[in-house]
Amino acid sequence: MLKVEKLRKEFKSGDSDVKAVNGISMHVPTGSFSVIVGKSGSGKSTLLSLLGALDQASSGTIEVDKQDITKLGDSKLIKYRREKIGFVFQNYNLVPNLTALENVMLPMEYAGVPAGARKERAEKLLAEVGITGDKQKRKPTRLSGGEQQRVAIARSLGNKPKLILADEPTGNLDSATGKLIIDLLRQLAKDEKTTIVAVTHDEAIAKLADKTFTLKDGKLVS
Amino acid sequence: MGTVSRGVRNAFRNVIRTGSIVFILAISIAMALVMLLALKSVQAKIASVKSSVGNTITVAPAGVRGFEGGGDLLTTTDLNAVGALPHVSKMTETLSDRLTPGTDTNLQASLTPGSFGNRQQGRAGFGVEGGGGRFGAAQRTFTMPIMVTGVDDLSVAQALNIDNLKITSGSEFDATKDTGSALVGTDLAAKNNLKPGSTFQGYGTNITVAGIYDSGNRFLNSSFVMPISSLERLSNQAGQVSTAIVQVDSIDNLNSVKDAIASKLGNKADVTTSQEQTDQIIQPLENIKTISLYSLIGALVAGSVIIFLTMLMVVRERRKEIGVLKAIGASNIKITAQFVVEALSLTVMAGVLGTVVGFFAANPILNALVVSGASSGQGGPGGGGFRGGGMMVRFAGGLNGVGNTLRDLHAVVGYDILTYGALAVLVIAVVGSAIPAFMISKVRPAEVMRND
Repeated sequence: MLKVEKLRKEFKSGDSDVKAVNGISMHVPTGSFSVIVGKSGSGKSTLLSLLGALDQASSGTIEVDKQDITKLGDSKLIKYRREKIGFVFQNYNLVPNLTALENVMLPMEYAGVPAGARKERAEKLLAEVGITGDKQKRKPTRLSGGEQQRVAIARSLGNKPKLILADEPTGNLDSATGKLIIDLLRQLAKDEKTTIVAVTHDEAIAKLADKTFTLKDGKLVS
Repeated sequence: MGTVSRGVRNAFRNVIRTGSIVFILAISIAMALVMLLALKSVQAKIASVKSSVGNTITVAPAGVRGFEGGGDLLTTTDLNAVGALPHVSKMTETLSDRLTPGTDTNLQASLTPGSFGNRQQGRAGFGVEGGGGRFGAAQRTFTMPIMVTGVDDLSVAQALNIDNLKITSGSEFDATKDTGSALVGTDLAAKNNLKPGSTFQGYGTNITVAGIYDSGNRFLNSSFVMPISSLERLSNQAGQVSTAIVQVDSIDNLNSVKDAIASKLGNKADVTTSQEQTDQIIQPLENIKTISLYSLIGALVAGSVIIFLTMLMVVRERRKEIGVLKAIGASNIKITAQFVVEALSLTVMAGVLGTVVGFFAANPILNALVVSGASSGQGGPGGGGFRGGGMMVRFAGGLNGVGNTLRDLHAVVGYDILTYGALAVLVIAVVGSAIPAFMISKVRPAEVMRND
């Protein structure tokens, strides 16, 4: 599913060169729940940005579904993000003036899904993550942190992505809610046949993973 | 929900801020609208004045201004040569004189000296126009003179170049004959209880009142008019002419005829075309036009800057949100369109409010501009004071379609103005959101990973 070879990301910070990702190679099987762990500054989030085509690699290859995304142009990268990737962020990153339902419908609108179909699917996904009834019409500020993250998960699944990238998905949640969210992610991934790669500090979550990658100073150590 | 509806909704995210921006932008748009209206009104008025002025040339004795200055009057011999020039279709001549009440006439002046007259009287010597003999020094006892104008045209109004002169009672005289009769201004007639058929004394003889006229002007209404041949005879100025109005067959020939007259009369005469006179008189309108144009440009620029800064602020604030939208698959075009719609929503709201404000503010502001323009411009019609016959014609010429120009402007909101307004709103929105839109395209989707 996901194959990374000799991936590097370097950038300048003041006078010094920073090697945020330094020659990482990894393989993530289809349908698995993989976790990337490491201390702050180890390059976890940078690696996730590269996998999600949010940033450009300095060198190396990233194959998703046998397609090297490092070779794609801007418009194809947008299409890649839209159709093959679902993102879940630590801060949920829902659009504040849209309702939960509208937030979930948004990626589908960009993918050209007809209005009726995207509403139906958004309602179904929200129901699956436990956001039902009146809550679907609430704006993010009127939902709890756990509920917002559920909405974010539903949004990430809208276009039936091959890969869900989650950046500290439980970082802002208490441990019980965090556990529920991870269970939810895993269950949905199984139902939707989606591969999940999550970045986390939480060892309890890491223990639930099918595969764990440990980063240190931009390098994969295990 | 589509891009458009999201853009419109985003415009109302912060109601207080939106209200403030719309209010400020509305003032800018209202100002632009008012200035556009002012510009169009003034342009229309200038065109109207220019077209109404006609193809006339004023020929006046060189060095003589009313009853000031020095030199010789023109003669009928001089002017016969002018009348024979090509393209001269008609020529009317006037002769001016003054009568001193109690000495030259039994009439009493209807004008009082006031502070202006007394100030002139106080300056003994040249140019004093109160009560003294012709072109001479002032008398010790100051008395307002009565002005008399001799005309040779069958229509007194045409001869004086006054459009709105009305005969209120009696009838006009035959200006081509030495009838010895007079048309008397309403104020002078009222002061002396004159009616058609009554007589008064002037130049040691009885003059019969043929009619009473109202020129709409107090200065002219305090004088009287006679056939030029009668005035020449009575005032011992045979063959003398104070002013000639030359009509040219086409406006295209105005300057060539002016040059020909100047060449024919040499340094005997000052020759001025009606267009030149008009240009002087409408100078205040030209000033208003310039002010309006620059204010219009300024208001549009201000509007664009307001919306530009607003959208700049909005884009900077929502950098992360833009990153989110890019991360979930939005293209630059989709996101930019959403922000442009947001800018357009703000501008349209401001445009509607600005149009309403501009509609009500247009005429008061235009009037304020007109008053300001008039006071800072030329003296305008009426500046002739009581300088006598030469100026009487100039004064009257000023009234011919121009006299009320500065107080006769009205802003009218038509479909064309509303169309221009809508276009201006569109231009402001597009220009104001262009650079922020460019900034959107530069936002990296990786911004979404920032946890601030």
